[in-house]
Amino acid sequence: MASGFWQLLDLFSDYTRSTATFGVASFEDRFSDFRKTLAPHTVLGYLSDNPVNDPSNQSEFNLTQYTLAPAIVLPTIDQRLVVVNYHSRTPDQAVLHSRHLTPIRDFGKGVLLCRNDAR
Amino acid sequence: MTFLCIALVWLIGFGVARFLFPAPLRGSLHSVFLFSLGIGLGIGIACCLYFICLALFGPNWLILAGFGTIIAVAAILRSMNATNRGVALEWASGPATPAYLTWFLVLAAAMAASMFVILCLEKPHGEWDAWSIWNLKARFLFRGGDSWKNLLSSQIPNSHPDYPLLLPSIVAMCWTLARGESISVPIAVAFLFTLGVCGLLVSSIGILRGKTQAFVAGIVVLAAASFVQLGAMQYADLPMSFHILATLALLCLQDRFPDDLRFSIAAGLTAGFAPWTKNEGWLFLGAVVLARLVAILRFEGRAGLGPQFLRFAAGALLPVAVVAFFKIHFAPPNDVLAQRPSDLIAHLAVFGRWIITLQGLAKVLFVIGGFLLPIVLILALYWFLVRFHVAERDRTPLATVLLALGLMLAGEFVAYVAFPPDIVTQLNVSLERLVMQLWPAGLLAFFLAANPPQLVTTRVYGAARPKLAGKSQKPKPRTTVPKPASSTMRLN
Repeated sequence: MASGFWQLLDLFSDYTRSTATFGVASFEDRFSDFRKTLAPHTVLGYLSDNPVNDPSNQSEFNLTQYTLAPAIVLPTIDQRLVVVNYHSRTPDQAVLHSRHLTPIRDFGKGVLLCRNDAR
Repeated sequence: MTFLCIALVWLIGFGVARFLFPAPLRGSLHSVFLFSLGIGLGIGIACCLYFICLALFGPNWLILAGFGTIIAVAAILRSMNATNRGVALEWASGPATPAYLTWFLVLAAAMAASMFVILCLEKPHGEWDAWSIWNLKARFLFRGGDSWKNLLSSQIPNSHPDYPLLLPSIVAMCWTLARGESISVPIAVAFLFTLGVCGLLVSSIGILRGKTQAFVAGIVVLAAASFVQLGAMQYADLPMSFHILATLALLCLQDRFPDDLRFSIAAGLTAGFAPWTKNEGWLFLGAVVLARLVAILRFEGRAGLGPQFLRFAAGALLPVAVVAFFKIHFAPPNDVLAQRPSDLIAHLAVFGRWIITLQGLAKVLFVIGGFLLPIVLILALYWFLVRFHVAERDRTPLATVLLALGLMLAGEFVAYVAFPPDIVTQLNVSLERLVMQLWPAGLLAFFLAANPPQLVTTRVYGAARPKLAGKSQKPKPRTTVPKPASSTMRLN
């Protein structure tokens, strides 16, 4: 009983202190406009400006897939359409250009749809 | 509308449970048992129905709603017309239950409910596996329309396309019937399974060992923070835990009421839902069949074997057929099992993998439940105070539960050693959850074997005792309430 009470206090403390800037809800909000434009069978590539070894890279990719389902998101840019998940104010055009990605539509909030000209 | 769908699903299960074990509709232990069992049965049956409709007719609301209504109405009508032909499930006799124990149970339930609510407010989509596997699959099923088979695509990284679909199906079914995607559905399903495990544990121990023992077990399971957290995380481990507990509890009740073979049918049904919940459900199905076989042959002889196993198989037939249909026609090969035999042999030959798995298991036993003190030590103290005493009639059920859990643990142990290339990460992310699947059934075994604690002492003084004519009365300073015949208790 004491354990349960202790854990309950811990949880309540965490809940009242949490700011929730990152998580499913924020991804749902960021990608909601983009999702409405997708057909169910769409297959998208994915690019993020996170460092490759950043632990949040994998979780952000999974959150993108969760948000955009039933479209399939692949962890590669080797697709005709690529969704770019960026965290800066504007996407890095030089990086996009070097990867042959041409912006098609910026949905705001760090979500950009690009066409891969190499395919 | 969402909650109407959830209620409809539960009504199907309650109807089937009440048809199998009829009892008057009133606040009784029997009703608590049916209420809890109905959760797993209803969700399991509804999932099978949803998947069959989807596979045969595609995503058609009308067909799904039609079949759902027919099954719900049939289950409710059959349950209402069921005569009281079976056994009445009542509290087993035992020592008096003090009022404070009831209040402790209520307090533990209130704390667990508060914890669940806070966790759901904080993470309404659940934890990692919930949104990267289970709810993701539900979205593919619901949003995908005719492209729902995309969820089986091996292109989607980390989504494990071969995983069975009980949890995603029930969520997608409610969304389909409600014609809207609401995050309250997976939360409600998680809550129902958490509630179901508690209700099933308390009611089955109450029937088998009495109210005091049941309330203590209820407090232990509800006070385990990680148990409640596992529920709120919306993982498939808690539904798996429900099916394991339900199967083993029903088999225990089968031994308590050997003339009523409907317990074996229901046990077969819940055991069949285990592989529809998670792949390790196959291991459980094999383990429970083997454990039951050994227990019956060892303690009862061959006579009871045939009728029980026939009914168990009849119960398991529908869910196992649905899982087989899914695995054969739709699911890609399992990514873990697809490894080369030479790799598995190489893994098994590394002695360090055995050691690290053993260490991981030993550690989990001390941290399981998230208690301030290791629960194994608290249970050891409890055992020291009350001791075990297994009556002859409880030998078969206890052997069944212990053997099934032992085989499950052994199977999972070997699987850890043999399969994952990165064993340390795999142990860290999944071992505690796998042990938590067995935790409620482990408590069932513990409290089935333990003597009930005698927490109420009635003092009767010599002067107050009625005098018997012709017999000398030796006043005793005090006596206690007589113990049950089987008791070897030390706590007074």
